[in-house]
Amino acid sequence: MLKSFLAAATLAVALAGAALPQAVEARTLDEIMKSGVIRVGVNPTLPPLGKFDDKNEIVGFDVDYAGEIAKLLGVKLEVVQVGSPDRIPFVASGKIDFVMGAMTRNTERAKVIDFTVPVHTEVLGVLTTKANTFTDWKQFDDPSVTFVQVRGSTPVKFIEENLKNAKVTLLDNYPDAVRALAQGRGTAMIDVIDFMGDHMSKHKVEWRIVETPIDVYYCSLGVAKNSTGLKDWLNIAVYDLYRKGKTTELWKKWFGMDMIKPVGAQPFF
Amino acid sequence: MSYTLQYGQIWPFLPRLLEGAVVSLQIAVLAFCGGLFIGTACAAIRTFGPRWLARVAGLYVVFFTNTPQLVQIYFLYFALPDMGILLSSFAAVVIGMTLNAGAYLTEIQRAGFESRRASEMEAAEVMGFTRLQQIRYVILPHVARVLFPPLSNQFIIVTLGTSMAAVFGVEELTGEAFNINSQTFRSIEVFTVTAGIYVVLTLAASVALAFMGRALFRARTELI
Repeated sequence: MLKSFLAAATLAVALAGAALPQAVEARTLDEIMKSGVIRVGVNPTLPPLGKFDDKNEIVGFDVDYAGEIAKLLGVKLEVVQVGSPDRIPFVASGKIDFVMGAMTRNTERAKVIDFTVPVHTEVLGVLTTKANTFTDWKQFDDPSVTFVQVRGSTPVKFIEENLKNAKVTLLDNYPDAVRALAQGRGTAMIDVIDFMGDHMSKHKVEWRIVETPIDVYYCSLGVAKNSTGLKDWLNIAVYDLYRKGKTTELWKKWFGMDMIKPVGAQPFF
Repeated sequence: MSYTLQYGQIWPFLPRLLEGAVVSLQIAVLAFCGGLFIGTACAAIRTFGPRWLARVAGLYVVFFTNTPQLVQIYFLYFALPDMGILLSSFAAVVIGMTLNAGAYLTEIQRAGFESRRASEMEAAEVMGFTRLQQIRYVILPHVARVLFPPLSNQFIIVTLGTSMAAVFGVEELTGEAFNINSQTFRSIEVFTVTAGIYVVLTLAASVALAFMGRALFRARTELI
């Protein structure tokens, strides 16, 4: 039996070694232009940033915005579907050239991928139901509270750091998380309330938004680490789209209102 | 771009992965034991029970072996609340996995029951055993020996299947791996360590079951 075990252990180690990949190279700006296609990751569960239309194609602010970038670069746009937990591995492994989908820039993520200058902001709020009567987000720091959150999304860390007494249930996507909240599996959800409208309307629940903006995050385009040429070009493109009013126009088209907290583009970008 | 392995970032999270492994084992043991109970009952019904009841058990098996386990748990977790039944994540996963394991264990055990020797049954009948006594004293000891290896395999399958509990917010081994991955983004390191823990977990279970099989039923199980 010992021999069998040693054989199994050796095989396991060998397989683990074989499984370690030669890292896939992220494409340079030149390679993207030469190929004629830029691959952009969009999360279709964050309407109106990204969602499926009647033809089951991904549309939304992110798709239009990425289309403008592709136009500026003179290449075709290829939209790649990503989810909250896998969007960073997709960029880091070179499967896509950059990722959108509410990519909040933070120091943890910046250890793994690079960020451009911000494209838009997201203002966090608390989504709950009429059953809950709290009026301030800090009241949710209570053991009786269970947050239903999306795995890998920015507010998870915010709750860990600021609402330590509350419990958290993590699900994989926004439709499931909002449905779980509607079914009474949790007390509240902290996220960008602007993105929740589509999901909330699918459930016959008396929703309530706690009227206290919690925090403001800046969302950028996420690119592979050290792809400096691409990042530099994207920075200029993002500034250009802001300066020409294209970003504001697209935001209004999809959100039906101005950005609550505009980025405030400057030439020093 | 070259990738530098950084296992140092993962080791601080090892206790969380091990806690997750304990939850995985809890789900596996509960689902397997429950499934074994259901499977034994349904296999007995399908082999010895009245025809209509055998058909009902057959329908149960057909339904659960021809639909994905993920869909079954999804139904329990997200569809039942619309009918007023709210199961916790853990309960939905355990019940779903139990019902699924029960269907497969029914078929495994039915094969075992049908491998019984006619001469044994005739001897039992001559001795005046009731049908229940025949199952309890003649058939079960015989089939236990034959069935132990496939049952052990099924336990491993159930153990690995617990990974889908992560989808429903249960922080078992895979769920913890997902969480750590979303914090560190060291996917290769996180999932290599997680895979290693699964290998250790299932090999340990295989060894324990092999010893148990030899001690209780003289069943020989080849590990590799």
